[in-house]
Amino acid sequence: MNRRVSLKEGLKYQGGGPMLSWLLHRISGLAILLFVGLHVISSFFMQQTGSDLATNLNIIYESWIFQILVTFIVIFHALNGLRIAILDIWPRFLVYQREALWLQWFIFIPIYGLTIFILIQRNLSGG
Amino acid sequence: MQVTLKIFRFNPETDKKPSYKTYQVEAQPTDRVLDLLEYIKSTIDGTLSFRRSCAHGICGSDAMRINGRNRLACKALVKDLGNRITVEPLLGMRVLKDMIVDMEPFFENYRQVMPYFINDEPPPARERLQSIEERERFDDTTKCILCAACTTSCPSFWANEKYVGPAAIVNAHRFIFDSRDRAGKERLDILNGQFGVYRCHTIFNCTDACPREIQVTKAIGEVKAAIATGKLD
Ligand code: FES
Repeated sequence: MNRRVSLKEGLKYQGGGPMLSWLLHRISGLAILLFVGLHVISSFFMQQTGSDLATNLNIIYESWIFQILVTFIVIFHALNGLRIAILDIWPRFLVYQREALWLQWFIFIPIYGLTIFILIQRNLSGG
Repeated sequence: MQVTLKIFRFNPETDKKPSYKTYQVEAQPTDRVLDLLEYIKSTIDGTLSFRRSCAHGICGSDAMRINGRNRLACKALVKDLGNRITVEPLLGMRVLKDMIVDMEPFFENYRQVMPYFINDEPPPARERLQSIEERERFDDTTKCILCAACTTSCPSFWANEKYVGPAAIVNAHRFIFDSRDRAGKERLDILNGQFGVYRCHTIFNCTDACPREIQVTKAIGEVKAAIATGKLD
């Protein structure tokens, strides 16, 4: 038998929270690349052709549902990156990796909650 | 209690593909998975193959995936696992038969970090003295039993078996931070290479998998910091 580990088999490994946050960090990183890409493409078409494509992209981009998703991904990626950087600089704190993850969500929830609150409020008031 | 074991089976002489077989056994909550495997091998199916030697968590031969996570079969108790237990070989290594995997790539990586004491200075009249603090510095990483549970839990190793892996870094750490050793710099150079420490993305599976409770990710972090700063402290 060869040694290849399939994606399915890898994902089934019971790594728990730390492994999931690593996965989410990769996925959110790629997603951010996609958002920025969309933004660049829509600005480009807007300026060059003023076509419907650009307007449609912007409608998706600016819809509040999309914004809720984008802010989740960006805030998670930023906080998780911060945690990784801090633990890289002071490896002795790696013993508290699990606690660090809890702390990270503890910081994430109020920031994200406030963001959603503002988004919905602005949307309801038609702002 | 009745326990249902779902066991990964692969015989290279007859099977093209691996399969799973289920066995019902009577067990005590304090039984270990190794006891159940021994029972199946001696009374139900003699062809079941797995490695074991000490049966006391110190030789490191029976690391395997139990309920989706790497553990030693001789340290995994039935009462912690429930009455449905899945047993599979370690991931990322070639399966030779059932739970037996080809450990050679693992030991190849291990040998790369020169896991032995190096000091060419003439020995003093008596022993090379070391303070309690100096000994304490690398105490955690002396506990490794080379079972490969950490290395085969690491997604970076799954992706590329040339990555030296957590176990090799732990064993390098054991000598890099030993005040009597003189080859720390060479080991750091090796670990600074393409397949060295920077393939570690602090995923933490290794620390969770270690049956000796070594702080593996911390040891890797300390080696990374030593490479980055050039300081051993
Ligand atoms: S049999 Fe020796 S470690 Fe389990």
